Amino acid sequence: MSEMTDQNDDRDNNSRQRMSVESALDVLARRRDDQVVVGTMTANGVWREKSPSDLNLPVLGFMGGASGLGLGVALSQPDRDVWVIDGDGSLMMQLGSLGTVAGAAPGNLVHIVVHNGVYETSGSQPLPSQQRIDFAKMAEGAGYAQTASFGDAEQFDAAIDELLAADGPTLIQLYTRPGGRFYTARPTPPGSTPAFARMWPPVAEALAK
Amino acid sequence: MTAQSIPADLLLAAIREAGVQDVVLVPDTHQRTVLDLLMDDEQIRTVHCSTEDEAVAVAAGLIIGGRRPMMQIQHAGLYASVNNLRGVALDGRLPIVLLIGLLGRDPELEPEQDGSSMVRLCRPLLETLDIPSHLLDGPDDLHHVAEAFDQAAERNGPVALLVGAPTS
Repeated sequence: MSEMTDQNDDRDNNSRQRMSVESALDVLARRRDDQVVVGTMTANGVWREKSPSDLNLPVLGFMGGASGLGLGVALSQPDRDVWVIDGDGSLMMQLGSLGTVAGAAPGNLVHIVVHNGVYETSGSQPLPSQQRIDFAKMAEGAGYAQTASFGDAEQFDAAIDELLAADGPTLIQLYTRPGGRFYTARPTPPGSTPAFARMWPPVAEALAK
Repeated sequence: MTAQSIPADLLLAAIREAGVQDVVLVPDTHQRTVLDLLMDDEQIRTVHCSTEDEAVAVAAGLIIGGRRPMMQIQHAGLYASVNNLRGVALDGRLPIVLLIGLLGRDPELEPEQDGSSMVRLCRPLLETLDIPSHLLDGPDDLHHVAEAFDQAAERNGPVALLVGAPTS
């Protein structure tokens, strides 16, 4: 994994090109309009800085739940696009959701998987599959309407408009370099309102308008 | 006590009367006859999930988007869904109603006296999670269905309904 953690190296030890998560999410942020964006893990923090909005719905405290949460919103709001910015370790925890999403077949759902090959929040330990797993192939096999993979931000930028214009569900796999971010949990004061309870009501309110 | 089978059409009618728009499910043998009706129902949408943990997240997304879902699972699925029940339904303060089949329950016994751990531990687990539950041990208990939605809304949290005998 040492080659992957070198942020100056664009290729991992499988010779797969990888971009920074910032450059990958910039491509999406430039297209952000009124989509609900369900974000999780380290990419969520980057996304919220790049595209602050009442329609950002973070997955806080239930790793693995982004795809299911996004599916529920997409089914409830068929006239609005929903983007899920998932992590590779996160999706591994609910891998069956690929089949669930494909079965429900929401045309308005774009499932973006940030594939950095590690559990970045806990200190960049490798995923069980190391860097080899290919979620685009899995999604294609599950029955997503379209899938694509990118390791270069310029190529992603050139292709994304067509991907967003087509009917989903769509899975876009973004090969990124680990950023070396990790989080330590702070104690929660007794009686606190959990973060998720504070963060979904503004989204629901915006959607109800 | 003796748990009685609830006819599927009566349970479906109670679900309809509660205003349910989506049933988010992982199939439950115990409620097979209800599932048969639900899958042919034109008013209520079914969302078929791979795991019960995932179903909690899907139900939450539906509520956030303005729908009125209900989860339908088996007791084994309750155990599989605990992390999202905690992180999504409890921490998120989301009024998710769960319809849970007590597959294999001895209808002559209280669930806590049952020989199956899946039946026996169900209500103690729900109590530990601070999730209120109501037994549906016959057609006379169907009033709990609509009441569960009111209770979930009042407490901003999940409420469980336990189907005591196989539906007919």
